[in-house]
Amino acid sequence: MTAQLETPAPPDAPPRTPHRVPLWANPRVGLVVLLVALVVLFSVLRPAFLNTRLTLTPLQSDISVYLVVGLAQLSVLSLGHMNMAVGRMAATSAFTMGLVHDKLGAGLVLSLIAGLAVGALLGALAGLIISRTGVNSFVVTLAMDFALAGLITILYSGVTGGVAFPTMPAGMSELRSDTFADYCIGDVCGPRVPLVVPFAILAALLVGLLFRFSRLGREILMTGANQRAAELSGIPTKDRIVQAHAVSGLLAALGGFLLAANNGAFSASLGDSFLLPSFLAPVLGGTLLAGGAVSVLGTALGAALTQVIYKGLNLLQFQLDQLQLYIGLVLLAALSLDRARHVLAERRGNRA
Amino acid sequence: MKRIPLALVAVLGLVTTAGCTKKADNDEAAAAGKKPADVRIALIPGGAHPYFQPWKTTAATAKTDFTLGDVTFNETSGWDQTKQNDVVKSLAAQGYNAFGIFGVAPENINSTFEDLKRQGFPVASLASCPAGDVDKADFCLSTDVEQAAYKAAKAAIDAIGGSGTLAHLTGNKVDSNTQRRIAGVEKAVAETGGKVTIVQVVTDIDTDLQTAQKAVADLLAAKGSQISAIVNTAYNPAVAAAEGVAQTKLPIKVIAIDDDKTILDGIKDGSVAGTVLQNPVGQAMVGSYALMKLSGGCTMAQPGVEVDSGSFVVTKANVANYETDRQAKTDEIRKDFDSKYLVCQ
Repeated sequence: MTAQLETPAPPDAPPRTPHRVPLWANPRVGLVVLLVALVVLFSVLRPAFLNTRLTLTPLQSDISVYLVVGLAQLSVLSLGHMNMAVGRMAATSAFTMGLVHDKLGAGLVLSLIAGLAVGALLGALAGLIISRTGVNSFVVTLAMDFALAGLITILYSGVTGGVAFPTMPAGMSELRSDTFADYCIGDVCGPRVPLVVPFAILAALLVGLLFRFSRLGREILMTGANQRAAELSGIPTKDRIVQAHAVSGLLAALGGFLLAANNGAFSASLGDSFLLPSFLAPVLGGTLLAGGAVSVLGTALGAALTQVIYKGLNLLQFQLDQLQLYIGLVLLAALSLDRARHVLAERRGNRA
Repeated sequence: MKRIPLALVAVLGLVTTAGCTKKADNDEAAAAGKKPADVRIALIPGGAHPYFQPWKTTAATAKTDFTLGDVTFNETSGWDQTKQNDVVKSLAAQGYNAFGIFGVAPENINSTFEDLKRQGFPVASLASCPAGDVDKADFCLSTDVEQAAYKAAKAAIDAIGGSGTLAHLTGNKVDSNTQRRIAGVEKAVAETGGKVTIVQVVTDIDTDLQTAQKAVADLLAAKGSQISAIVNTAYNPAVAAAEGVAQTKLPIKVIAIDDDKTILDGIKDGSVAGTVLQNPVGQAMVGSYALMKLSGGCTMAQPGVEVDSGSFVVTKANVANYETDRQAKTDEIRKDFDSKYLVCQ
């Protein structure tokens, strides 16, 4: 599902003839082509890339986590804001999930809901500070990241005496290790898709629906495109900022939950590696850093692309320095091609 | 509009739960019966760190000595458990069928071991054991970090004549191994009955040498005159403390860890009182040996057993010949695996 939005024209603007972007210039199409090309290339170089159990199944789990993390960043990129605390929000929420389960004996669903609530509250708090003080979101969420990093350490050492909860709710280990192929109705078993994947798909659908169809989503995008204009149009922009950040916190919490399921523990270091991928997936997918336009499908493709590159280079057994160099080069090439395609499309459009 | 997501949730829930039965877990493949030439071992540290560099050369030695199919060394995990899991699975997909792993997150690593065991691969937890009482790997061959920290603190207490103050410099606080090291130092200090106290525990400074150097400079500027000895239980702080104390010429006894050239030179010229060495070569060599045996059909007498790979206090008195002790310990552990830990038909 494509969920890219463009800034709606103000009601009194003269009608614009829609500028048709050729199919090949659509950044999502470019990403799909690149993705297919890389999958073919890696499969030819290393047939093990198509190994279902050891490559494709874990790849789907990884993409699920980074898609949700990308969506968490996308929610605030829609405003032209950033969430530098995306990893620590995930870790704090995961701590809540562990706490609710370990100390109160709650099951999987209740623990998840508690964690999501804490994530949303943290996001809302960041949004509240940003909207009320006018301080840049980068600064506010960076400060929050530092504060939460300290808080997480204190909480874990105070509650668990260590750095992780010793127990997980029933069902978490199945989320990590099972695929739908393990579950059958009669003789018909599901596809080899990990159980964490539907969480990410559902999150993507809901975020897509939010920004494409709901009034709230469109008002957030309007706020991101031009806050002053949005205010003058009667949009409560401060509330929209709080709500967008709350969605970001909620999704960060979900990302933390999925990573905890994949890794097997609610631990203090969870989410440490979320920050860069959280930007990479949406930006590769065409979401603007300046705000006002988002692409959920693009984020999914961006997350898939980065994980495919990482997996492929891993299978080619690159050494550390080469791995970093090539990941950087491939991403740079991807972004440059996308930009070149965009410029070319613009020129053709202008000539037409 | 709001009904669409709700309906979706309901449909997904129904599809995933209604009438499903779970297939029996039959993924486990037999690991037994492989000839050494068919055994392909992957040695996977948590990330790039000088401590693991001997594993690289030992991998090549083990391959030749045991005539193994292959032994690879992969340090691309970047100190991230998710990345390490990915590296492990990629290597398994590449045909590596026995794994010696230093888990990035001791609290999570059992899940990784469990996944590998489910697929029939022999697994060794090398240089670090999982946190908690359960080890899902076949065995853990590592420095007993609490014991090594205890030895280091004892050496420091001896060096200052049994009374004074200690500073403890160590690694990432949210790592259960760091917690064990802190416990080891505290244990040695508690045994002095109050004659020795800990002035400060500095954590999270093993990320790189610059971070450690800055922390040491700050510590010496603020409390240099109050500290009698510095106990280091992480690599970068040890190097930084040896340099820092030598530069400031403060009368502080430094107990380091591992055998970086700066540290060995410091022991020789007297600016470092001693160091506690670990046994990375022994871990990689004996670990590979035991993995080969497990692949060939041997089993563990006690699955998940923890084996201490040894820690050695080196001072000026034995700085010239410590390698002999270390090699002797490696030989001894290998014999123990043959006689005690492994059961072979």
